[in-house]
Amino acid sequence: MRANPEVLILEDDAETLEELQGHFTRKRFHPLGARSAARALSLLENNRYSSRPVLAIIDWDLGKAPDRSASSGDVLSRLARELRECPVIVYSQNIDAFNVRSQIQRSHPSALLHDKRDGDASLLERIDRMLDRTVGDLRIHDGTVVVHLPTLDQHHHREAIRLVVHHPDVVTFHSDTATKAVRRFGEWLQSHSSAVRLVSHGNRKYRLSVTVSEGAAPENDA
Amino acid sequence: MGVTDAARMLGVRAPDRSRAILVVTVDGELAVAVHDTAPRGMAVIRDARTDDAAAIAGACLPWPWMVVGSTVSVTPALATILRARPVLIFWLGAAPDGLPSHARVFTRPAALLEAVRRACDANVGGMRLAPGSGVELRDGTLLRGATLESLVAAYPDGFALPTRAFRAVAEALARHDAGWTPERDRDARMALVPSSTLVRQ
Repeated sequence: MRANPEVLILEDDAETLEELQGHFTRKRFHPLGARSAARALSLLENNRYSSRPVLAIIDWDLGKAPDRSASSGDVLSRLARELRECPVIVYSQNIDAFNVRSQIQRSHPSALLHDKRDGDASLLERIDRMLDRTVGDLRIHDGTVVVHLPTLDQHHHREAIRLVVHHPDVVTFHSDTATKAVRRFGEWLQSHSSAVRLVSHGNRKYRLSVTVSEGAAPENDA
Repeated sequence: MGVTDAARMLGVRAPDRSRAILVVTVDGELAVAVHDTAPRGMAVIRDARTDDAAAIAGACLPWPWMVVGSTVSVTPALATILRARPVLIFWLGAAPDGLPSHARVFTRPAALLEAVRRACDANVGGMRLAPGSGVELRDGTLLRGATLESLVAAYPDGFALPTRAFRAVAEALARHDAGWTPERDRDARMALVPSSTLVRQ
């Protein structure tokens, strides 16, 4: 059975939220959508043992949220503390303002920033670049499997998807179960003579590294 | 959640073992500039204020790789960390009391940011900082250890700290036949030097 990886989306505008959810559903991800920070925190809390999103999309400005009891900063801080392995994109109309960027970085030091003024299409393009990754001879397919392109063999574990999405960054995994899955993925890469290898940084931290052979294309970055 | 709790729960205070650049300012503007300068994935930028800098430094495990500051004082708690550990210290403007002698002071932001970029891209005899943490040797071996990361990034400069703080690095480099070792330089600071130089002396 393949469990579709979850994506957390915090967006106060109902129409935009629907569009983003539809986009992820079409890509076979399972969107966890929220119009308020309180709802997003509740989704994280209620799913903390079963769900660890592979990506979070956070609207910084929540002026239209039906519930203002929590802020996007609260959600970012929760993600930074409890879901460090989850890449986060924060978008705002004021992303150029250093005080906004400083507030975001203090809430989540690793958050990626996106300018909302570039439009929804620009955000979706960026998300697609992250999720439809080709790293060396690996490619994510339908959000649920990592495909080894020379053999078309598939690896189904979501932690493998997380590593490919994060490449070239280091991912900190949250449990022994997750790190066992990561090591199995590393063995799978070796058994397929993949150009991609798993690098351990200790303390449950791993990243993928691509060996660039003569004449081969360089690593593909998001 | 009250305001005090919210500040205490900020993600920037979460303990983590990734390589960290702690930026201490009054408004965060320099932290944003450092964020834009450091290559992606090389280090986590932790944006601090004077009142939470020591707590955030304590969350950088085992210690911050680099501390960047401007126009703020250094609390005794933060000064203790900076004097006891090999932390790269880049300061914009007049340096406050409490910084060790190996702190580098800059008068222009552009010069400081260039120094940050150079530290991230440091290459000492084929030893380079790996993304996130550790040092990659010329043969691709990943050596873990915050002290070695600091020595590589500070090269050719070093740290005004006791020799014993660098013994484990010297042993690890010798074990891997890296060709480099920490030694006290002419400024009485511990810095990397080629091992072959020592043999000739």
